[in-house]
Amino acid sequence: MDIFTVMFWIIAIVLTAISLRKSKTKTFAAMKKSKGMMGSMLSDIIAIIFLIGLVLTFIPPETIKNVLGSANTFVSTVAAAVVGSITLIPAFVAFPLVGSLVDVGASIVPGVAFLTTLTMVGFVTFPLEKKEFGTKFALTRNVLSFGFALVIALTMGVVL
Amino acid sequence: MKVGALIKRNKLLILVALAYLAIFIMSPNKAIMSVENSVYYLIEMFQVLPVIFLLTVVIEALVPKDLIIRGFGEESGLKGNFFALLFGSLSAGPIYAAFPISKTLLGKGASVSNIVIILSAWAVIKVPMLANEAKFLGANFMAVRWVLTVIAIFIMAYLTGLFVKKEDMRSAESGQETRELEINEGYCIGCGLCVKLLPEYYEMKEQKAVVKKMPEGKKAKQAVRESAERCPAKAIIFDMEEKAS
Repeated sequence: MDIFTVMFWIIAIVLTAISLRKSKTKTFAAMKKSKGMMGSMLSDIIAIIFLIGLVLTFIPPETIKNVLGSANTFVSTVAAAVVGSITLIPAFVAFPLVGSLVDVGASIVPGVAFLTTLTMVGFVTFPLEKKEFGTKFALTRNVLSFGFALVIALTMGVVL
Repeated sequence: MKVGALIKRNKLLILVALAYLAIFIMSPNKAIMSVENSVYYLIEMFQVLPVIFLLTVVIEALVPKDLIIRGFGEESGLKGNFFALLFGSLSAGPIYAAFPISKTLLGKGASVSNIVIILSAWAVIKVPMLANEAKFLGANFMAVRWVLTVIAIFIMAYLTGLFVKKEDMRSAESGQETRELEINEGYCIGCGLCVKLLPEYYEMKEQKAVVKKMPEGKKAKQAVRESAERCPAKAIIFDMEEKAS
């Protein structure tokens, strides 16, 4: 567990203790409600996790590297954004991957597009997002995120 | 009947399980590799989800509704956006961990725009991740991407707020949770107005109003909502969250 997660745990436990001291009944009522809400999400979350494993097997980092480093910047940028939307690889893998490409002289634009859609656009989490917040919200957020990832990437190509 | 409901509720899980089964039959190695790849995320889930559970409980039980409305509501303006950005950035865990928290905040009166900010910041801006990025791609790269991302998040929040209304989000399947009618005993001044208006749903106990019965049906809910609006102490908490069933 990294330090942030540990802090997160401490904060949550302290706040729960405060809440319990303030009103036991209210806290227990809230627990019941949260249990219902998260219980209904749990099966989807587990499904998503195993889906990520599946995607990682079929789109391994080497494939991603090939996509990001291909010759035509425009094509590779769009492809990178698509790959970033579908996969979910850990940040400590993604940054060195993009870093190694930039070091050998590849354009940063596809790399940025990939890094941004990787976290902001969720293809595998979409079913859950849709279920919890409605189709319109999930669709709007993901489409906008995809578009802006391209904008961010192109702007960075100009600025840096 | 029961099996049907079970299948429907676990649709995604069943689909993924079937996919695994198919892959296992065709190439067992790939299936085993996929399970191994998933382990990292499973551990992450067990580290983060209990915290998320506690936090939703705390938000629900401890934080007064009007504080959320003031901090993250429609009228909270730029300050609210900034708070949302900070809240999302200081979080830990993957984006799906942000869903329960955001849903709880939404139910307590946060605006659509601020939910977009929280979700996006939660996904993209994380302090340990920023350090990692600076290490492999340079501080300059990290800083520029951070500034551009924050700008993009604000524009996206504004656009989504224009395009998606809260009603659109309510139509989402709200699970089995029921939005209760509640009276905040700390606020209730015991005036008895609600009991006079709707004796069917409220009664007085020890000089405080309490809920007698949950309203059912559209008409009753409407009446209860009006009574909540007329409460001089704004002590009645009632969301018409779920669609009239």
